[in-house]
Amino acid sequence: MDRADVRPLAGRRPAPAPLVVSVLALAAVMALAISVGSVPVPPAALMGGLVDGLRGHVHGTVDVIVWQLRLPRVVLAALVGAALSLAGAAFQGVFRNPLADPYLLGAASGAGFGAAAVLVFAGAVPWLARLGVPVAAFACAMATVAAVTLVARQGSHLPSVSLILSGVVVGSSLTAATSFLMLASRDRAAGILSWLLGSFAYASWGRLLPVAALLLPAALAILAAARALDVMQLGEESAAQLGVPIEAVKLGLLVAATLATAAAVSVAGVIGFVGLVVPHAVRLAFGAPHRRLLPLAAVWGALFMVLADLAARTVVAPAEVPVGVITALVGGPFFLALLRKQRT
Amino acid sequence: MVKRAVFLAVLLLALQVALATGYPLTVTDEVGGTLTLQHAPQRIVSMIPSDTETVCALGACDRLVGVDTLSDWPPGVKALPQLGNANQPDLEALVALKPDLVLTDEYSGLAARVRALGLPVYAGTPQTFDQALTFFGTLGRLLDRDTQASVLKGRVQGQVAAVAARVAALPAAQRHVSVFVELDPTPYSVGPGSYLGTLLDRAGGRSIVPASMGQYPQVDPELVVEKDPQVVLLMDAPYGETVAKAEARPGWSGLRAVEDGRVIALDQQQVDMLSRAGPRMGDAVVLLAKLLHPGRF
Repeated sequence: MDRADVRPLAGRRPAPAPLVVSVLALAAVMALAISVGSVPVPPAALMGGLVDGLRGHVHGTVDVIVWQLRLPRVVLAALVGAALSLAGAAFQGVFRNPLADPYLLGAASGAGFGAAAVLVFAGAVPWLARLGVPVAAFACAMATVAAVTLVARQGSHLPSVSLILSGVVVGSSLTAATSFLMLASRDRAAGILSWLLGSFAYASWGRLLPVAALLLPAALAILAAARALDVMQLGEESAAQLGVPIEAVKLGLLVAATLATAAAVSVAGVIGFVGLVVPHAVRLAFGAPHRRLLPLAAVWGALFMVLADLAARTVVAPAEVPVGVITALVGGPFFLALLRKQRT
Repeated sequence: MVKRAVFLAVLLLALQVALATGYPLTVTDEVGGTLTLQHAPQRIVSMIPSDTETVCALGACDRLVGVDTLSDWPPGVKALPQLGNANQPDLEALVALKPDLVLTDEYSGLAARVRALGLPVYAGTPQTFDQALTFFGTLGRLLDRDTQASVLKGRVQGQVAAVAARVAALPAAQRHVSVFVELDPTPYSVGPGSYLGTLLDRAGGRSIVPASMGQYPQVDPELVVEKDPQVVLLMDAPYGETVAKAEARPGWSGLRAVEDGRVIALDQQQVDMLSRAGPRMGDAVVLLAKLLHPGRF
């Protein structure tokens, strides 16, 4: 566990500078996102709304729009973006697989099935309606990943290949079940589909706080494992020889990343691409070591998601495009351009 | 204190007896939410097309300040600000309209979101013929339009009763014309228990789909050939399906509906009228009766 072992991977510039710039950029983008909406709000009224909200005196139309509609939405987008990106970086690090993303172990298909079940059966089964979509989605996501992990487990080991394979297989089965639910209840299909494609339209303080309470500890746990992840990139055997408790770190990271993913998915639906692409983009732009990668991935995930949501609610306003469509449409070409630039 | 409370209670009671609708009025909607109106709503937002039609049929069209994107009847409402739909509402614009009553459905969850923003909302929109008749009364009470609600209810019931009487006078063989209603070409259809199924029943027709298959099942194309409907109603015609394409499907050339030229393409207005449990239900039954029994209505 000598620091010198991982030092050569790090760049020469001190780490804080890009992080500070990135945080400032995130703040600017969030300010922009709060100032744009279908109802024009002048800057003074915007500030008034924020101040009134902080004081707890929300009154009047503008206050409601700024404090109860826009701000929770922007904050939630930032939290979810950070969570998905961080979880994606963690999965990519644990499995040392560039194709890994937060949904690798079935969290998305589990959450999707839970949400679809509630949307379809809420009318007939009162307790499902009381449970609500977010709680059901969260529970099903956690249960799916737990099932995948149990299936893949061999004694006290969690072989990466079996984890990935059982994740894919369980995920496909649940996706098929969700598709069937959609076809079997056509009048709910549009609602399910729009949930599956992701949206922050349902943001509210009431939804945001429980998610934040789950996300923050999970994010801190992932950030704390940065050095162990760096060592693990040398290979699991070498890392074990260097004293990293491989299985414990792996399990801890999987639990934290799954918690973060499930919490994000439960309120925002399945938003693809962020968890896959943002960590790679950050790696290409700022370097690979996890001590640098993880905090930057969180900030840029947040920034990318806030921008994507801003696009989602403005390009065809007053209608909305599912934010998952934006992340894939914009994120894909952007990432390919970055990849090509890196090669030349 | 007690005397004063009793006095107030008596006063309130007296007020409610004296007026058609007494305000403040507290009602419970279909998701169990309570709504208290201090006065008759003057700034109404309707997020459901059939609710928009009902508000206007009660003579309160001028109190609407915003509607959902699909609200298009009566034609005047198309000039109002459009606020998306119940699943994807433009909440900012809705709040900015300062509505004193928001009408929405019980499924989308919009009601809870609007209520959380401190706006008065009634959640619940009729899904069946009978629910729609009841809803006329509910909305009439909310809007202080009780008389108009009774008139509307009477008119719709009168239209349906008139059709029923003429159907009863038909020869027995013609009272249950078999109909295949096509919602989309995959094909989705309607069961006898669905809203459209009950309208068909009142118009002297019957869906070929067995009741056991549910309200809006996807059916096996073989079922259509096996049941050999007398009439086919293409509800998907506004979305690109045509009579020619339908008649060219495998096995359809021998259908009674095809041989008799009774595969019928409906236009968007007809489809809307047949899909919305609202004030045009009577017109919808009359329309179906004309389509099923040409020359008799």
